[in-house]
Amino acid sequence: MKKGKRRQAHIQTKHVIAQIAMLVVALILLAPILWMFSTSLKPNDQILTAAPNWMPHPISFEHFHKLFTQAEDFPVARWLFNSAFISTTVTLLALAFTSMAAYAFSRLHFKGRDVLFMAVIATMMIPSQITLIPSFLIVQKLGWFNSYQGLIVPGLAGAFGVFLLRQFFLGIPVELEEAAFMDGAGPAVIYWRVVLPLAKPALAALAIFTFIGAWNDFVWPLIITNDISMRTLPVGIMIFQGRYVTEYGATMATAAVCSVPTIIAFLIFQKRITEGIAMTGIKG
Amino acid sequence: MNKSQWRTAAMFLMPYGVVFGIFVLLPVLYGFYISLHKWHILAPKPEFIGLRNYKLVLSDDLFRIAFARTAFYVAMVVPLGNALSLLLAVGLNQNYRGTTFYKVAFYLPVVMSVSVIAILWRWLYSAEFGIINHYLSQIASLGHQIAPAISPAALKPQWLNSPATAMPAIALMSIWWGAGGNMLIYFAGLKNVPRELLEAAEIDGAGPWRRFWTVSWPLLRPTTLFCLVMSVIASFQVFGQTYILTGGGPYYSTLTIILYMYQQGFGLYQLGYAAAVGYLLFGTLLICTLIQFKLLAVKQ
Amino acid sequence: MNRRGVLILFAAALAFTLCGCAQKKISRANSVIQLEFWNGFSGPDGTTMERIVREFNAKHPNIRVRMQIIPWGTYYDKATLGLAFGGAPDVFVVHADRLPEYADRLVLYDMGELIETGGLDESDFMPRPWNAGAWNGKHYAIPLDCHPIGLYYNTELFKKVGIVDEAGRAKPPTNLEEFLDAAHKLTIDTNGDGRPDQWGYVFTWFRTNYYTYLSQFGGDLLTSDGRESALNSDAAKRSLNLMREIIYQRHVAPGPEGQDAWIGFLTGKVGMALEGIYMLSSLEGQKNLKFAGAPCPVFGDKPGAWANSHMLVMPAKIDPAKRDAAWLFIKYLSDNSLAWAKGGQVPVRKSILNSSEFSSLSVQYEFSKQLPYINYMPSSISLNQALPFFDAAVEAVLCNMKSADDALSEADRRIDEVMNRQ
Repeated sequence: MKKGKRRQAHIQTKHVIAQIAMLVVALILLAPILWMFSTSLKPNDQILTAAPNWMPHPISFEHFHKLFTQAEDFPVARWLFNSAFISTTVTLLALAFTSMAAYAFSRLHFKGRDVLFMAVIATMMIPSQITLIPSFLIVQKLGWFNSYQGLIVPGLAGAFGVFLLRQFFLGIPVELEEAAFMDGAGPAVIYWRVVLPLAKPALAALAIFTFIGAWNDFVWPLIITNDISMRTLPVGIMIFQGRYVTEYGATMATAAVCSVPTIIAFLIFQKRITEGIAMTGIKG
Repeated sequence: MNKSQWRTAAMFLMPYGVVFGIFVLLPVLYGFYISLHKWHILAPKPEFIGLRNYKLVLSDDLFRIAFARTAFYVAMVVPLGNALSLLLAVGLNQNYRGTTFYKVAFYLPVVMSVSVIAILWRWLYSAEFGIINHYLSQIASLGHQIAPAISPAALKPQWLNSPATAMPAIALMSIWWGAGGNMLIYFAGLKNVPRELLEAAEIDGAGPWRRFWTVSWPLLRPTTLFCLVMSVIASFQVFGQTYILTGGGPYYSTLTIILYMYQQGFGLYQLGYAAAVGYLLFGTLLICTLIQFKLLAVKQ
Repeated sequence: MNRRGVLILFAAALAFTLCGCAQKKISRANSVIQLEFWNGFSGPDGTTMERIVREFNAKHPNIRVRMQIIPWGTYYDKATLGLAFGGAPDVFVVHADRLPEYADRLVLYDMGELIETGGLDESDFMPRPWNAGAWNGKHYAIPLDCHPIGLYYNTELFKKVGIVDEAGRAKPPTNLEEFLDAAHKLTIDTNGDGRPDQWGYVFTWFRTNYYTYLSQFGGDLLTSDGRESALNSDAAKRSLNLMREIIYQRHVAPGPEGQDAWIGFLTGKVGMALEGIYMLSSLEGQKNLKFAGAPCPVFGDKPGAWANSHMLVMPAKIDPAKRDAAWLFIKYLSDNSLAWAKGGQVPVRKSILNSSEFSSLSVQYEFSKQLPYINYMPSSISLNQALPFFDAAVEAVLCNMKSADDALSEADRRIDEVMNRQ
């Protein structure tokens, strides 16, 4: 009995130490991001100080103010709309397309299925820089240069989503679908009524991956648009990130503006993400 | 083979298949076609030269340097990054109070774009004004008080400006950036370890350490394989970090394969040569992935 | 979100996409000539250029110039894609050292006829920048400015250590001896930790610094025909060794520091730096900094200073209806380059250089004294291929990894290799 108590206390101490360690690790991982926000809120004369000052005092919005007023002709609101619209559309369409493909790869039987699937997966190993110029030429041939289609459609072709969802669908018990089949449901109905509702967590995870990826994309939106009104927010904002700019306050304000939307998107979806991945049961 | 199912499959595959065909398959094939040509981007048309680009790349000592530097980066990022991800996942799996906070804190770097993290870390790595060197110098002066032999200015790495530290600095940044992604996957893997097995091991007197290595770790093997394969692929393709922070310098110390390819393709507009570099990397990754599957895959 | 919600969003997304392209076609229908103007002025210079463009638009109601800034880092990729496959702007800026690549591929508009008939007086231009617009006997570009490197020095620090003339003003060095002496006096360990925290001099951008040293010793990066490396020369070795000596033997400059080097000067911790005139605006933004500009000291056998120009060009395939408007705009920019110079550039029009308004811009005026002997990088279609190796050689030596001999002969070999691969 006594021994058990001591052991209990021992375990307690261990847990306390582990929790402290975790807190420290979490703070270290968060520190760069906090430092970014802190620097962006400081007036210039507080930035290059000898001892780092984590709390700006006084808080100054001058860098943000400059960022948005320096560009009087620049349609920041339009860029924000473009980014939100493009990322949302890419996310929704990619979920639809990849989930359908993943359903075919995991549930339907047809000749050459596995070979086709492996070919799709293998394209993940091809550096995207190789396909940049060919894709550019194709978009131009289609007459999609400088258009929303050109910004959206190529973003729907990623193989990661197919891989992720296929793994997830494989983990869903077939019995559920067999019951629906007995009731006379065809594959389309099963996909829509049975598989998709069960896959909600995985779809949420893929949604956030896709949204973040589309929001943060830089090279493609830059080369495929010419009109200033067709720019996305990261591309438009990065214009102020000049080569010779050594003003860290302004730079960090730029960085903060670019990351706040994805941080918000993540906070909204974060609960569903872990559920999503926890249920994929990824198998090698 | 059921004919109607083939048709259904075609229907399900069509939307993705069309996009994939036009924006992945076609560019990939076209890229390979370009790699067989000598083509300056402003030249009217490509000139067919067969496999000559591949021969040139393989005999280019700068390509070999880029390959070695990338391998160095992969050798740092893949093991250390996965170890950190696994550690974070194990921590998260303890279900301590504040799990949501930890989840957010661990994952938040992943949501930021490479341009943002690059300019952020340039500020952190600044040798004179950066916060990292500030805390290092505090550690050094603490050391100086204990042992006067230690110079208070001893701990002041030049990070991105020195060939010795530039690549490790970029690796450190990338580990920070990417750890959260794999953490979630390891976390999911740990969640799938049946509780009964862990409880049975506890009754047999196994401590947490032994429980992890004898029960969880073997069951995590598919997850580990997935994470390793994905991170090897991703880190061999490292580009944005070196492009923005160092441009490959100082003295080629951070020249990575994709950066080299990009410089050839866009800096010098030798499109065929650049495509050949890309396809050699693709071949390497294919072999790497197959080896990993051979070594780690479990027969199910 | 329920499934109906998803469906509605899909529909909305598709509708938006279709609207987006319909909208584009309407805006075409009006008689004002639209000119697309691209440049990479992503710093304060962009604001200056924006103002000039606005003035032009106000004065020319039938022309509307739409300016787009694309940061230099990605600018050339985008411009080249446009020139190769369509989507190029009507007027754009190309650096003098990148011009031959484009001119040689015949993607730029030959301005010869326009120059002859279009009312731009060639004799008013400084010859060096003017000639940078020529390739294979044709004229493809009008220089907007010249941006040489020059000496920035901290007048307050100079006075503190007594480097002054008879009137008590800070006195910039003009030759190597004075330079080393000043740098030595300015290098101070103020907190006594065994390493200086104030430096006499600092190497900021290696490329422009080394090219200045190299030119002053009579060397160059490529041979005069632009087809081979010229780095395996005595001048190249002597000049690079001098740079190394300044760090490792004289101890008057820190080792490579990247961006910190310039911040050091900005924050008053460095006495001297060689930087481009375009850095002026970042210095002027620094409230407590007292600084001045001067021509580069003579380190070698003759005076010299790296320089480059922003050149105004049109694509070869320019719409004939837009050509005259574009030419009018280019002329306007050149005629009004005093406003541009105020933002931190040296103009290339003699009438502006000799005006009293220009001589009142003290730093620009000091830097412009170098115009008779400035050094442009070699005019060659392969320059861009050689530069990475040039940079790497300087890095290797200044990071103390290789001797100047080894680094230069390596760069020499690589440059020749990549040029032969063409």
